[in-house]
Amino acid sequence: MTGSKESFISNFKAPENSRGLRSQGDQYLVDLPVPGRRSERWKYSPISKLLNTSLNTCSGEGVVWPEEILPDPVPFLDSYRLVFRNGHYVSSLSDMPIDDDVICMPLSEVGAEFTNDYHKREWVGAMNAAYHQDGLFLKVSKNVSLDRPVVIHHLTDGADIAALPRHYIELEEGAGAEVVVWSSASEKSSGMCNGILEANVSSNAYLRVDKICNEAGEIFKFSHEYIKQERDSRVKINTFTIKGHWVRNELEIVANGPGTDSTFNGAYLPTGTEHVDNHTVMDHAYPNGTSSELYRGIMYDKSTGVFNGKVFVRKDAQQTNAFQQNSNIVADKGATINAKPELEIYADDVKCSHGCTVGQFDKEALFYLKSRGIGSDEAKALLVKAYVGDVISSVDREEVRNEILRLYSERHGWA
Amino acid sequence: MLKIKNLHAQVGDTQILQGLNLEVGPGEVHAIMGPNGSGKSTLASVLSGRESYEVTDGSVDFDGVDLLEMDASDRAREGLFLAFQYPVEIPGVSNMNFMKAAINGKRAHQGLDPIKGTDFLQKVKDCASLVELDGRLRDRSVNEGFSGGEKKRNEIFQMAMLEPKLAVLDETDSGLDIDALRVVSQGVNAMRNSDRSFIVITHYQRLLDHIVPDYVHVLSEGKIVKSGGKELALELEEKGYDWI
Repeated sequence: MTGSKESFISNFKAPENSRGLRSQGDQYLVDLPVPGRRSERWKYSPISKLLNTSLNTCSGEGVVWPEEILPDPVPFLDSYRLVFRNGHYVSSLSDMPIDDDVICMPLSEVGAEFTNDYHKREWVGAMNAAYHQDGLFLKVSKNVSLDRPVVIHHLTDGADIAALPRHYIELEEGAGAEVVVWSSASEKSSGMCNGILEANVSSNAYLRVDKICNEAGEIFKFSHEYIKQERDSRVKINTFTIKGHWVRNELEIVANGPGTDSTFNGAYLPTGTEHVDNHTVMDHAYPNGTSSELYRGIMYDKSTGVFNGKVFVRKDAQQTNAFQQNSNIVADKGATINAKPELEIYADDVKCSHGCTVGQFDKEALFYLKSRGIGSDEAKALLVKAYVGDVISSVDREEVRNEILRLYSERHGWA
Repeated sequence: MLKIKNLHAQVGDTQILQGLNLEVGPGEVHAIMGPNGSGKSTLASVLSGRESYEVTDGSVDFDGVDLLEMDASDRAREGLFLAFQYPVEIPGVSNMNFMKAAINGKRAHQGLDPIKGTDFLQKVKDCASLVELDGRLRDRSVNEGFSGGEKKRNEIFQMAMLEPKLAVLDETDSGLDIDALRVVSQGVNAMRNSDRSFIVITHYQRLLDHIVPDYVHVLSEGKIVKSGGKELALELEEKGYDWI
């Protein structure tokens, strides 16, 4: 029987480690409902088509890396690299830091103490808790900044694959790290990639994450990032969906101390019948926090999209400065975006601003460009590149920025 | 250069141009004056190919080609330039990339290779000095955060870069102080030659003290109702449009 939540996971095999978390996952898989149209969080991103498939977790044996995909997704970046295929670590393609102050290794080789409770709230989270395979474990010691970025490259490759990566990052006081989370999939791929990243950022530490989804094939991709920030820590997360059949990006940032700074941006330009969903939560519970969020999307063809941005400013979070901006261009008649900002503010001495727009190309700007002899398509490309360029420019590393720009350009015919 | 015959145009259901005739020869400067609502800006929009205007009758011949058959970008590539009354701000697109795309669009249309980097930079330098546009403005996003005067100077800078056969200046004097008016006019005058024609649309005579026209036309209710030499502008200034 396909289509039931039991049958969907019936072929999944769990590794032997992390027994505690896995048994909790098993329990919540039973207790929690499958995401459906009745749930506010999932109503624009139904997964019934996925549930009707029969997927398998892979063993990780017999790795053949496809030729068309570079193991190193940002070739010009001087970085460390952890490569995973269908959830499993590929050591021959990886390059890890050797440093007394840094622990960086596959999660399967250490026991991480996960603190987030996503698996108790969402069925897909429970699935990851029960069946996660491998991922990055990164711990940076007090006052140490990792000298190069760490690139996590996850490839989904093959038909009817269930890949469940799980990453853990811990930065001690005053530590710093940059991580690029890159996911790709080969043309022939189908199935699901269900990934979780948890990061604990101690006081005065900083974390930068650039998350890029560039997946061919037909993958349902769930990714949940949970970032906990302590006093005076800084976090910057950029989420780019370059290509993906069905993508759900969830980002949850919890400010767990005063004076935190959180910047998170995203861009999505789906074409064809692609679906991209960005759900973000920024939770200010302490005073003097700052957050800045900018998400921009352009919906082409018959693509569908969701933006949901929650900002909580709790009672004690006085002097919070929270900014949220989401803008969308619906480029074609058949495309759809469901955009919803949600601000819940319980403190009275705060500065919060938000804006959410859905519109078409700026006709005046298009005419202006055309009136100078720039063709219609090129004029649109110039406007789009500028619009998304604001988000891309928030990526700090030039090599990463250029690669994102190159892939978008290639896909959308930008000059 | 330009032959407009019996031009009728409307926006929505409102008929604005109602049988306009105008001939502009090479090297001539024609001023079009008229009260608010007479159709001056509509004429500029129709000539440049703005999509919200519908031409219901008449023809426009531009150096042997049917202007109305072309879309806005092809009109520009054929040598038409419109200096906007309200130049548009385009955040994120640098003035330089904008001009490079425009010049190369025109060059591709003429079967030429893209302009060389060094030639382009030299041209930018020459044209910018013409309207005293400093480097800071050249490198910024198109018109973003420019003052009114800077925007108009940028229009004339673009005109100089693109070297049109015919330039239509739509109320270029609006919002300009006297210094900016002088700079803008100097830029236009420096571009006058025996091949290049101008249509200068203005509500006031003062611009015509700086850009001296060969002909002045008065537009009223979508038609040219009176034509004359530059002295007509002075007469209008003195007596007002009611006099017509």
